[in-house]
Amino acid sequence: MSEPIVRLRGVRKTFWRDREPVPVLDGLDLDVPEGSFEALMGPSGSGKTTLLNLIAGLDRPTEGSIEVAGQPIHQLPEGALARWRSETIGFVFQSYNLLPVLTAQQNVELPLLLRRLPRAERRKRAETALRIVGLEDRTQHFPRQLSGGQEQRVTIARAIVNDPKILVADEPTGNLDKGSTKDVLDLLARLNKELGKTILMVTHDPHAAERATIIRKLDKGQLA
Amino acid sequence: MSLAGIAASDLMRRNRLRTALTLGGVAFGVLAFILIQTVISAWEIGVTTAAKDRTVTRHKVTFVMSLPKRYVEEIRRTPGVKQATWSTWFGGKNPLQEREFFMAIGVEPESWLDVYDEVGVAPEERSAWIADRQGALVGDVLAKKFGWKKGDTVKLTSNIFPGEWEYRIHAIYQPLRKSADRSMFVFDWDYLNQSVPERQREQVGWITSRVKTGTDPAALSKALDAKFEENEVQTLSQDEASFQRSFLGMMSAILGAMNVVSLVILGIMALILGNTVAMGVRERLREYAVLRAIGFRSSHVTRLVLGEAAALGAAGGLLGLAIAVPIVGGLGKFLEENMAAYFSVFRLDPGTAGLALAIAVGLGAAAGLIPARGASRLPVVEALRRVA
Ligand SMILES: Nc1ncnc2c1ncn2[C@@H]1O[C@H](COP(=O)(O)OP(=O)(O)OP(=O)(O)O)[C@@H](O)[C@H]1O
Ligand SMILES: [Mg+2]
Repeated sequence: MSEPIVRLRGVRKTFWRDREPVPVLDGLDLDVPEGSFEALMGPSGSGKTTLLNLIAGLDRPTEGSIEVAGQPIHQLPEGALARWRSETIGFVFQSYNLLPVLTAQQNVELPLLLRRLPRAERRKRAETALRIVGLEDRTQHFPRQLSGGQEQRVTIARAIVNDPKILVADEPTGNLDKGSTKDVLDLLARLNKELGKTILMVTHDPHAAERATIIRKLDKGQLA
Repeated sequence: MSLAGIAASDLMRRNRLRTALTLGGVAFGVLAFILIQTVISAWEIGVTTAAKDRTVTRHKVTFVMSLPKRYVEEIRRTPGVKQATWSTWFGGKNPLQEREFFMAIGVEPESWLDVYDEVGVAPEERSAWIADRQGALVGDVLAKKFGWKKGDTVKLTSNIFPGEWEYRIHAIYQPLRKSADRSMFVFDWDYLNQSVPERQREQVGWITSRVKTGTDPAALSKALDAKFEENEVQTLSQDEASFQRSFLGMMSAILGAMNVVSLVILGIMALILGNTVAMGVRERLREYAVLRAIGFRSSHVTRLVLGEAAALGAAGGLLGLAIAVPIVGGLGKFLEENMAAYFSVFRLDPGTAGLALAIAVGLGAAAGLIPARGASRLPVVEALRRVA
């Protein structure tokens, strides 16, 4: 196995609620090998979302170091972190990922607006991404004209349009029926296998977790 | 697509009814602001276009009472007076259209045209009018209103002088200055004087003097009144600019109140915009969080909110202008033709239009400031958690 693409050392995260500390992650170590498809499970409130947010550079640890794709991100200032996210991480949340006033194609183009790309090039890349997720015939649809599964596939197209190394998905199938769930999981598995994306997926669904190459369990601030 | 494209899509697709209502609110605010400012500046222009070199002398008690005609000669002899002329109020009506009000006066044609140099008459028409004692000189707006043409014979009645009076229209004048009243009916005072009973003869309504350059009209007015102080009939003289100023002075409280009203309107506009922007931003916190997760910075969010708010203000402002231009145009044409004494120039000043538009854009951006700050400062993870 090559160098881990994600490396956490002694990561603690404590929230404060009404002057009371709420410890969530308690000195966590984690190595994620490049190219793996990991499922993160655990009871509600165990800190799965918190952990994923830290790895994705959306939040900062109270203590400890986080290195992702060779970059110690806990040290990056806000602006650099945003830029780093746009280049390194693709995001899929449980729902409401898309801007309702933009078409599928425009939504997929969003991450490209941060780069100096000609219009035609942006368009081409968005179309390619939509083709990869099998929605080339839905490019001009608005999110409300799509099914939940199609919406998630558009989200995945947006997540890969910048060709990031890592995809993070927080309960990506949490709101989907069986058929759509299968479509989305198939797609993630394909992106992992064919494009070599490292995927970190939080899920409550054991069947979903089975599609992953590694399953980790988070409980009481520790990984089992 | 671009940030501006996102903002435009938001404005046009998010909540069309709310956007439309807000645009309407801003447009009406802009319209009201423009109307008020135009009225104010129209009144102020009255002072600046008033003839600065004219003084009007009338009976001290009331302008309804007349002056002896010999006063004209005395005034003409007064140092500082370049020319003097007189007018008598005829109280004329067109028997075919009794309700239309216009100013009909008997004058001495030549000196009157000298003094009232804002009245423009073609040379042949001028001599034709002067030559015929029953001739009339008519303003272009009045002629149009009654369908009168050169060469027509017309009849007037008067609420002062009994009987029917016949005139031949020899001349139609054009205004040479914006302040000119375009609805006057002017005829030879001699015609009136010859026709009235003996004891009413040699009387004039008021005397208008033009002063020589270097003479102060206000000082001359005082001198004239002093000259007639010991006479049987005393006078009251006032220069046109002071007359306009005293009129504006009376109006200054109203002008002040109107300015306050226009400020209130701007305040309401700001609140309408602020409300719309704040609601829109609150609904979109999660969208902004998603944008920031995928790499947009908080400054992008700030620009998005402010740009959208300013665009909303600008669109409302343009709509308001689009409504205001024809309204001010139509109203202005009417007022300039019919109420030239008060609104000699009632036009949409480009400065006022620009100011209104700038205020709408500025208020829009200002309305976006607080929501933009809130949206861009909210930590991404917190915003994602809120509606997830
Ligand atoms: N901003 C915050 N302030 C205070 N407490 C917080 C905050 N964010 C998260 N927490 C707490 O941290 C703990 C972990 O939350 P997290 O969302 O990571 O759990 P999770 O494992 O994703 O749960 P779920 O499966 O329900 O999504 C919870 O107890 C939560 O209440
Ligand atoms: Mg969670």
